Amino acid sequence: MPEDFTAPVVSNLDLGHGNFLLELAAGDAAADATPGQFFMVGLPHADVLLRRPFSVCGLPGTFERSGAGGIQILYKVVGAGTELLATLKEGAPLHVLGPLGKGFSLPETPGVRPVFVAGGIGSAPFPALAHALGGLGIVPRMLYGARSGADLPLLDWFRARCAEVVVTTDDGSLGRKGFVTDPLADLLASDPRDLFLYACGPEPMLRAVARLALARGVPCELSLEAHMACGFGVCLGCVVPTRSGETGDGGYERVCVEGPVMRAERLAW
Amino acid sequence: MVSPDLGVSLGPLKLKNPVIAASGTFGYGLEFLPFFDLSQLGGLVVKGLSLKPRVGNPPVRIVETPAGMLNAIGLQNVGVDAFIAEKLSALSGYDTVIFANVFGETEGEYAQVCRKLDQAPGLGAIELNVSCPNTEAGGMIFGNDPRALGRVTRACRRATRLPLLVKLSPNVTDIRETARVAEAEGADALSLVNTFVGMAVDVDRRRPVLANVSGGLSGPAIRPLAVWMTWQASRAVKIPVVGMGGILTARDALEFILAGASAVQVGTANFIHPDACVRVVRGLEQYLAQHGPSSIRSLVGALEAGGGKGS
Repeated sequence: MPEDFTAPVVSNLDLGHGNFLLELAAGDAAADATPGQFFMVGLPHADVLLRRPFSVCGLPGTFERSGAGGIQILYKVVGAGTELLATLKEGAPLHVLGPLGKGFSLPETPGVRPVFVAGGIGSAPFPALAHALGGLGIVPRMLYGARSGADLPLLDWFRARCAEVVVTTDDGSLGRKGFVTDPLADLLASDPRDLFLYACGPEPMLRAVARLALARGVPCELSLEAHMACGFGVCLGCVVPTRSGETGDGGYERVCVEGPVMRAERLAW
Repeated sequence: MVSPDLGVSLGPLKLKNPVIAASGTFGYGLEFLPFFDLSQLGGLVVKGLSLKPRVGNPPVRIVETPAGMLNAIGLQNVGVDAFIAEKLSALSGYDTVIFANVFGETEGEYAQVCRKLDQAPGLGAIELNVSCPNTEAGGMIFGNDPRALGRVTRACRRATRLPLLVKLSPNVTDIRETARVAEAEGADALSLVNTFVGMAVDVDRRRPVLANVSGGLSGPAIRPLAVWMTWQASRAVKIPVVGMGGILTARDALEFILAGASAVQVGTANFIHPDACVRVVRGLEQYLAQHGPSSIRSLVGALEAGGGKGS
């Protein structure tokens, strides 16, 4: 059940290259949230009317120094809203609604081999997921791509907690030159048994990951991003075309309620 | 202390308070149950209903603009039959007036949807959407042509005994003209305004932001325009007017009420604060308790226009 509450900023850490890790004191809502869910965050500023959706990066326990009821949000400064967010100091009150949406599913059978496929700031939901998998004794692998080596926030964190992190960059400044789907294609061709893909990143990347996964019959969950005004299912702004139409509304489903995590085969891309 | 009287009438319709959740911003009402008791509302208007379900427009459907937002949802809805079968009964336990917002591609379709709703148990009123700017068939063609507006209002008036509101488009030269036509053809009340047609451009990609190119502008950006149209329309007709456009707070609502609105609708604010309507109700109670009068009805159209020329 989502809550509408005021959450003070605990810290707003500049990770460099426009990436920030924000910690909020979310109280009980932190305990209710699961990896892959999101919060709508309202900025205390007249120039920004609507709240902005951010997926949960860290839940209690994900990051070592997090306080009680603390949640983390990983964001990149890309527009007016995130520019304002980056100026906020400890104690600033944010109007937060959540947790919202459907998160990632956790493996129900032993032997599943999870792989994170992340594009740049799309790595945001994976720390909380890595922590939840760790609680089941499962260590994920990660394929982490970005434009350049500067666009891979929390890379060291992932390297410490994943069995392997394969880095790709468009410009070749770090890791393998090319797209994150290149090592994914290799992995799917060589050893697809028991793989379970979790992907988050720009839409063209997600489409390519979904195509590869479906071609090999490998289960794949995608964390989607969309423009949205409300986050709880009424503005109908955040829809994606799907095959299921489970809402009875026909060809579109809402990223905020039916997502943001959806199975690859569900999307009509 | 006697608590202030917030009750208002819209023709034959009695509301416990003048705050109504606006169509397209409140789903089918049920989505708000996690946030507050719907019985606190004067009323709620559900998402626009058509004869058959509609999937709506492709994304991108919304974008924030200065002090507002553009939307081009394209009237996605479950259709009138599914609404009656699945949604309306779930709303019946709440002590609030349920308005069905209705649109069609033809006059006949409008009337057919009204006929289906006429006997629907628990429904309080019908609001005709003749003003959606986001679909070819979505009604604005009716709302912008006084003769077409007259015909569709007449057809719907004959199709239902329920109280009938006509939601006017602001995308007209003179709102008084369409207001008078709707009144003459049997509307019990008017609601205004729907969204203003607008457009935003993505300068980096050199494309319209919205897949539909244009969208409807809502939010505080349109409030002064909407207050002006409420003032004009309420002085042009004898039937009650429901004002809306960028209402976030009770003081915003009072602008419309003082300018002539008998009730108000709260729209975009529902996206920002799910309990926005309740905040407005509480704020109106406080305003009356502090400043008077004892009844909100005494404030309707009660502004002193001084030496102004008005409309």
